[in-house]
Amino acid sequence: MKENTAYLFEDKRLGFFLYLVVEAIMFATLFATYIIYTPASRGADPSEVYELRTVVLTSIFLLSSSGTLLIAERGLKNWSRMKIWIGLGATFLLGGAFMVLEVHEFYKYWSEGYTLSMNNFLSSFYVLVGLHASHVAFGLAWMILLMFQFTKQLPRALFIEKHKIFNYYWHFVDVIWVLIICIVYAPYLF
Amino acid sequence: MNVPFIGEVPSDIVVSWIVTVLLGIFIMWWMTSRRKWPLVGEYVTTTDNRKIGTMYILLAMVFFIRGGMDAMFIRTQLAVPENEFWVFQSQKYNEVFTTHGTVMIFFVAMPLLIGLMNIAVPLQLGANDLAFPYLNSISFWLFVAGGVIFNMAFFFNAAPNAGWTSYAPLATDTYTTGPNNNYYIFGLQISGLGTIFTAINMIVTIVRLRAPGMKMTRMPLFSWATLITSILILIAFPVLTISLLLLTFDRLYGTSFFLGEYGNPVYWQHLFWIFGHPEVYILILPAFGIFSDIISTFSKKRVYGYTSMVIAICLIGLLGFMVWAHHMFTVGLGALANAIFAITTMLIAVPTGIKIFNWLFTMRRGVVRITTPMLFSLGFIPTFVIGGVTGVMLAVAAADYQYHDSYFVVAHFHYTMIGGTILGAFAGIYYWYPKMTGKMLDEKLGKWHFWLFIIGFHLTFMPQHFAGLNGMPRRVYTYTWEDGLFLLNFVSTIGAFLMGASMLFVAWNLYKTHRYTDKVGPDPWDGRTLEWTVDSPPSEHPFHPIPKVDSIDAYWYSKLDKKPLPSSEEIRPSPIPVKTIQPLVLAGILIFMSIGFIYQWVWMQVIGGSLALGFFILRSLTDEREKTYREEEES
Amino acid sequence: MRKIVMVLGIIFLSGCQMRVLDPKSDTAETLTDLIYLSFGLMMLVLIVVFILFFRFLSKFRETPETRGTIPANEKESKWLEITWTVLPFILLAILAVPTVKATYELTAKVSGNVEETQGDVMVVNVEAQQYNWKFVYENGKESFDELILPVDQEVQFRLTSNDVIHSFWVPNLSGKIDVLPGEETRLSFKPGETGVYQGKCAEFCGAKHTLMRFETKVVEQSAFDDWLKKE
Repeated sequence: MKENTAYLFEDKRLGFFLYLVVEAIMFATLFATYIIYTPASRGADPSEVYELRTVVLTSIFLLSSSGTLLIAERGLKNWSRMKIWIGLGATFLLGGAFMVLEVHEFYKYWSEGYTLSMNNFLSSFYVLVGLHASHVAFGLAWMILLMFQFTKQLPRALFIEKHKIFNYYWHFVDVIWVLIICIVYAPYLF
Repeated sequence: MNVPFIGEVPSDIVVSWIVTVLLGIFIMWWMTSRRKWPLVGEYVTTTDNRKIGTMYILLAMVFFIRGGMDAMFIRTQLAVPENEFWVFQSQKYNEVFTTHGTVMIFFVAMPLLIGLMNIAVPLQLGANDLAFPYLNSISFWLFVAGGVIFNMAFFFNAAPNAGWTSYAPLATDTYTTGPNNNYYIFGLQISGLGTIFTAINMIVTIVRLRAPGMKMTRMPLFSWATLITSILILIAFPVLTISLLLLTFDRLYGTSFFLGEYGNPVYWQHLFWIFGHPEVYILILPAFGIFSDIISTFSKKRVYGYTSMVIAICLIGLLGFMVWAHHMFTVGLGALANAIFAITTMLIAVPTGIKIFNWLFTMRRGVVRITTPMLFSLGFIPTFVIGGVTGVMLAVAAADYQYHDSYFVVAHFHYTMIGGTILGAFAGIYYWYPKMTGKMLDEKLGKWHFWLFIIGFHLTFMPQHFAGLNGMPRRVYTYTWEDGLFLLNFVSTIGAFLMGASMLFVAWNLYKTHRYTDKVGPDPWDGRTLEWTVDSPPSEHPFHPIPKVDSIDAYWYSKLDKKPLPSSEEIRPSPIPVKTIQPLVLAGILIFMSIGFIYQWVWMQVIGGSLALGFFILRSLTDEREKTYREEEES
Repeated sequence: MRKIVMVLGIIFLSGCQMRVLDPKSDTAETLTDLIYLSFGLMMLVLIVVFILFFRFLSKFRETPETRGTIPANEKESKWLEITWTVLPFILLAILAVPTVKATYELTAKVSGNVEETQGDVMVVNVEAQQYNWKFVYENGKESFDELILPVDQEVQFRLTSNDVIHSFWVPNLSGKIDVLPGEETRLSFKPGETGVYQGKCAEFCGAKHTLMRFETKVVEQSAFDDWLKKE
């Protein structure tokens, strides 16, 4: 017989997946906006704004952070506190590095004169990629909270539940980043 | 009107302040003298689906009064040509019709239906609560926050004024300066989030919490309608969220998505209607579900063509996403686009027709009891069919060049929205009132309400078809004698006041019911579905043990066989309720933050934003599940 | 009661000559025909539903004799269900064909390429702004809130807006076309009768949207020429 908490976890998982559907539609709308307004008739062209180096670096950091999170997931399965710590810690560092680079990228574009309201390519770029970046930032804060919860004596099933929900979120944010590479950057970099 | 220390303020706002303050004082006094505060405390901290549903409906009624008063002002101003009623001309009139539309759709129709879903759906499924009781409470308080933000605008002389569709570029800060339309954005944004969470909650409840034996194909049709509606919300509302986000950037941060040399105003219309058209199906499908259950109950027959009813709901939901551009026939999208959207729009008539005929044939060979809920359902059929056929007429793209944005359209959507959604909500309220409060509303007064309302309704909106055909555009605050619209508008105004008067019978009915009647048993209507097996009102944990179901309308057949429903041994845990003030606090924080954005006070945005984010931490550390998980770990 | 309303409606219909149903141009005539066609077809639907509704209601209403009886379970009739699925399809098909035809015809006239305006077409440029209309004729003559057109002469409007979205509507002469900022839309028709017709802005455009009206005077060709020459 299944345990009660297993039922509750499955409820929550389905609910969170549905929430990710909502997020996916939000991002889809922003992708559509970006596609419609890019390239703009006047003002900066994407090919002169983007830099291959930053995009490659940020991608390496974020995509590998999904990989390190798998270590934590394995740790959850056979309850190895060590693996969970390593997995979460590495993911946090990689995500943090991504965040730093992303902020730097925005700062650089901005200081080069490519501001939010220059044209609609830049507006939709900043809103879309900015929304993604804020998801990453939220994820980082979430990880800190998760680590804090890990140090407390939480019922194991509850911690596993919380951790798993976070994992879905983080992988989702990663998938969105892949789409950003394909739709936002790639057409104007290669 | 010149108010000391403040300056020039329109007199209607002054009057509203005075009335509101006096009313507030009176209510405070009444609550204190009757010792009602503990009850209020119980309700604002609850996560119980019945109580939250009841609060949804109560608040929707408050907003209904507000939206209804707007309607009265509109009709009075339009009663005679070249009229100058009070202050309601020009921009002030624009504010009135904008708030009327927005309030009626987002803060009346939506919460009425969501309230009924909250009350009836878990009971119909044999579930003890919605899947996520805490989230449900969050949804409700987000709706409250959105409603408060939106309605606050009027009291600070800044009611939104760009229409409920908020078309760009009129709605951007270039053409409507001031905070007015910021209120629109944040009110909708926050209540919209609440709606999304409700949808998630409903879907999980329906998918995972059905009683043993209650297959999807045995669910009552209201639950089915709720499921499909929730899926529509899930897909449509995020689009609104993003369109509002883009509009926020246009208004506050100097982008030009929808205006200027870079932007495209038509893109706003696409986004808005990709959300907006499914939205009208979100409003009508639950009403369809309510009618199906009621007509079946009061014809003492299974609903005719259950399978085709379900397929029809799904088809309507699906087609609802393929017709948005029929709101934009006159934008110049080109012949191909117009023709395609004309045809997809016409196609919706087919599943809708199937439903109408199925309802009619449910009544055939039945024993039709004319109770108040049934009366509202019966009033719905011809009314909605009139709205439906004008819908097909509007779908004729070329002919729509004439109807578009005229009073013909106004008549059409009131026939569907009032004739469908509002009659459905009334029917549902009369029907499930015992499940909300344990008492039955008075039948005689209910019938008075129905007849006045329906007569008033047809008097109001039937003439508007002809006003439209005679060239009256919508959203105008006056017309001339030469326009030849006087008689039509005058009749319309009389009808509107009749509808308003009918609502007095509701107030009387509520008073009479609660003052003079006793509680009723579990099954006052001789119902067919599981909600009638539990007490009226049900306890917070109504089903123990959970019944076992082996057919559609299982309760009805168990009554015919004179055997109680078998109970199941299969037990899954019920959702975990909790008593918490947190959602209410969150609502306060979000109102605070939104005001920061509306008036662009950065310090308020920062504080409100940090508090809102901090709320996640608070929530994570006070998870009510911890106890259950610990108990299981220890056992 | 509802019947009384319907009767009232018919009185309204015949009582006053409604502008949309009183077409004075070729375009408006096409639209009016479509409106009558769709109205007729939909009336058919309405009548069927109303007859079934009132019949079932009067026949199966609970009476003292039937009180307490439980109607037997019935099986859905496949044929009935097929009937009310297929018949609406046929009805809609009948409506869809002229709809698509008219939509293509009118829209081609509405947004055809400017450069290739064939034949004898008079062009009027329309500029809309909060809250007035400016009409510019081929010889550069400008007119505010007053549109003068020669009878029996095909005229093409090219419309743009200087601020928000407006919509150009002369109910007697044609359907609406939105007037957008930063984009040109087109509309054309041939007035068939002299007279004075109301024109209105049909897209909500701000505080004085209601007052954004114009007068359309359709006059004889000679009178039009005289007017055009006058300063």
